[in-house]
Amino acid sequence: MLRAVRKSYGPVTVLDIPELELKRGQITCVVGENGAGKSTLMGVLSGTVSPTGGEILIAGQPLLPGRPDHAKALGVSMVAQEFPLVGRLSVAENLLLGRHTRATEKAGALRRALFDRAGTRREARELLEDIGVHGVDVDRPVEQLPVPLRQMIEIAKAWGNRPLVLILDEPTSSLGPVEAGKVLDLARRHTAGGGAVLFIGHRLDEVRDIADRVVVLRSGRLVADLSPQEATEERMIREMVGSELAHGDIAPPATVEARTVLVARGLAADGLGPVDLELRAGEIVGVAGLMGSGRSRLLHTIMGAQPRTGGEVRLKDQPFHPRHPADAVAAGIGLVPEDRKEQSLLPLHPVRWNATLATLRRDSRHGVLTPKGDKERSREIVKDLGVRMHSQEQPIGSLSGGNQQKVVFGRWLHARPDLLLLDEPTRGVDVGAKAEIYHLIDQAAQDGLAVLVASSELEELLWICHRIVVMAHGRIVADLRRDDFSKERIMTAAAGTQPLVAGMEEPA
Amino acid sequence: MTAQTAPARERAGVPARNRLRALVETPEVGVVAACVAVFVALSLARDTFASAVNLQGMGFDLAQYGLIAIGESLVILTGGIDLSVGALLGTSVILMSWFNVNAHLPAGVAVLATLALTGLVGLWHGLAVTRLKMPPFVVTLVTYTVAQGVTLAITSGTSIVGISGFFSNVGQTYIAQIPVPLILFAIVAVAAWFFLERTYAGRQVYAVGGNPEAARLAGIRGDRRVISMYVTSSLLSGFSSMLVLGRMGVGSASGVGVGWELSAIAAAVIGGVSLVGGQGRILGIVAGTVLLELINNGLTTLQINSDYTNIVLGGVLGIAILADRLRAQHLSRRT
Repeated sequence: MLRAVRKSYGPVTVLDIPELELKRGQITCVVGENGAGKSTLMGVLSGTVSPTGGEILIAGQPLLPGRPDHAKALGVSMVAQEFPLVGRLSVAENLLLGRHTRATEKAGALRRALFDRAGTRREARELLEDIGVHGVDVDRPVEQLPVPLRQMIEIAKAWGNRPLVLILDEPTSSLGPVEAGKVLDLARRHTAGGGAVLFIGHRLDEVRDIADRVVVLRSGRLVADLSPQEATEERMIREMVGSELAHGDIAPPATVEARTVLVARGLAADGLGPVDLELRAGEIVGVAGLMGSGRSRLLHTIMGAQPRTGGEVRLKDQPFHPRHPADAVAAGIGLVPEDRKEQSLLPLHPVRWNATLATLRRDSRHGVLTPKGDKERSREIVKDLGVRMHSQEQPIGSLSGGNQQKVVFGRWLHARPDLLLLDEPTRGVDVGAKAEIYHLIDQAAQDGLAVLVASSELEELLWICHRIVVMAHGRIVADLRRDDFSKERIMTAAAGTQPLVAGMEEPA
Repeated sequence: MTAQTAPARERAGVPARNRLRALVETPEVGVVAACVAVFVALSLARDTFASAVNLQGMGFDLAQYGLIAIGESLVILTGGIDLSVGALLGTSVILMSWFNVNAHLPAGVAVLATLALTGLVGLWHGLAVTRLKMPPFVVTLVTYTVAQGVTLAITSGTSIVGISGFFSNVGQTYIAQIPVPLILFAIVAVAAWFFLERTYAGRQVYAVGGNPEAARLAGIRGDRRVISMYVTSSLLSGFSSMLVLGRMGVGSASGVGVGWELSAIAAAVIGGVSLVGGQGRILGIVAGTVLLELINNGLTTLQINSDYTNIVLGGVLGIAILADRLRAQHLSRRT
């Protein structure tokens, strides 16, 4: 059971749960959109993430925060989305990693210090048989196995710890129907034996199939606790997207210019396309889609950050074929990437350096950069964007997420692009700064920029966009005008069950 | 009146405090202070230490090590490492004298030919690191080994005698009591400072070292910056070899170059250059080189058994790395 568990990163709270109790013999499913806090919840429970506050009791015992070994000792076993298997080690060695075989468990210290190869192999085979995986050579290195099998091995490893609480984080996402069935069976067996299961689901049919109880997370909060009867797919989707946020406060600029900025025809890259897309000056177009649907790929391919394999792009009526993002910048495109820390910032360097990164060349004469010009530009950027800080010489890593993002926006707005590509522009940004960023996007469109915004937060796309394209499996499967916006339609299209056409373009 | 002076004082006071804080947080402060302290201490301990002759001798040494330390630092700033600077210097000494003596080329041509070759070596390093994605450590380790082999193959352990007087003119003379190599070093240091602090390309070097992906997505052609830094590093090895050759008067490979890359790396790290790239300034690099030279020379002046020299130098390096680490932790805790 969890009580008052919170997790914040700086000013951003990603998880805030007053109370959640997992019962023996019950499969509790957790659903929510990307970034709703599901993985953080798992992490907190399994000890890999230290909560900012609150306590966690497992069978009455308090869990020491941020201690995966302690969680394991108390009987929590987790199957993560990215399998922490040791690739070079064999299947058997991975399965018994971090514990002793039965034969050596009660033996003397010397015996326990030695590696029991025969026992390891025997127990590994038993474990795999037990969860219904047959014919695996337990001596093969894990890295040589296909991904679905590795997932099953990860599950067997968690199962082998004989846990009290079994946490499964989207365990079937990489599995075919047969293996997926085995995993669901295993979850049922575990609860039948008196254990508790916490199941993070991404497929709602699966969740309906197995849940004894469905918990819905949204923006780190527990918004619904449903019985299996209540948990229809429609209900779950409604709870996941939520309607609590105020409508009508934000809307895109009323008019869009007739001038076309970008035309893509059959644009393709690894994992993308073919995609047809048109953007006009002053238009804000959203890109919706599930994780891995190709949203970021689309942006990166336009930017020249990912090699294009086919198709044609025209930018301001000129053929455009960037080989490097530098070409795109020179042609008038700016990109605010998804992951600030990894893709946009020089975290240890001053705000000033980060602000002027894209305008450096323009502001230097014959390659020479004057400190005065550099400071002047940076001062304008932080002033225009209202960045809150005490000095432009302080490392940008010491600013809040929202202020960091404003600096990155300013970097591009001052480069005077015609097209602005935004990938998750408000990720890791607090509510106040979000509104400011929406305002910036709006302002940019009014100034005649074409804006392409990819986001996993449907709400914000519905607010700020003139048009939303929905992606699935690297293609655009729906193109909706503002009048046709509806969360349910977008979610359905993104899930790829039924493509729908309501915009001016045919789906690819 | 009081109402007016209060904000005025605030305006004056805040920048002053900021400046003081900036000074304390500047990583170069420690090493510059250490240079001064060591210099004063040694001058007081031995009269001969601060004598003109000894200072001039230090100037020659400083130029040799300092040039390759700057080259090394430029590479480290991009997030790489160049293990070949010392060995390549040794090979360049031999190549330069071989071109001049055995191939009968005029001194100037011999220098240019050597620089061209070292430039090609640097280009290979840069291309291997950027295009082939080879680890800089390995690429330059290969060059380190091959360069040593080439040196031996050409000389078979003997010296090349009869080099042009041009070399001793460059390597052994003084202008206004200041050794010419030291002046050349100062020019290179100022040029490197100007490049890093005052050109957009220099800023881009820091960006690439600080976060290559962010730099790429901001439209910076990082590969070009990285390649040019490797080329510069190798060229500086070649350039430094001219001074070394001039000072020795013969093309000899014994005791020249090998192991100097470690001094160069040590000077960079002591001067506040971060080995993960993106952090460090010329002032610190020069101060780091000066500090190493002061200690090296000071131990000789104090007539301490030279067998102990490396223990002291290693200790200084260890303290520098520890200090850098503690500073970084302090900064990251604030962010």
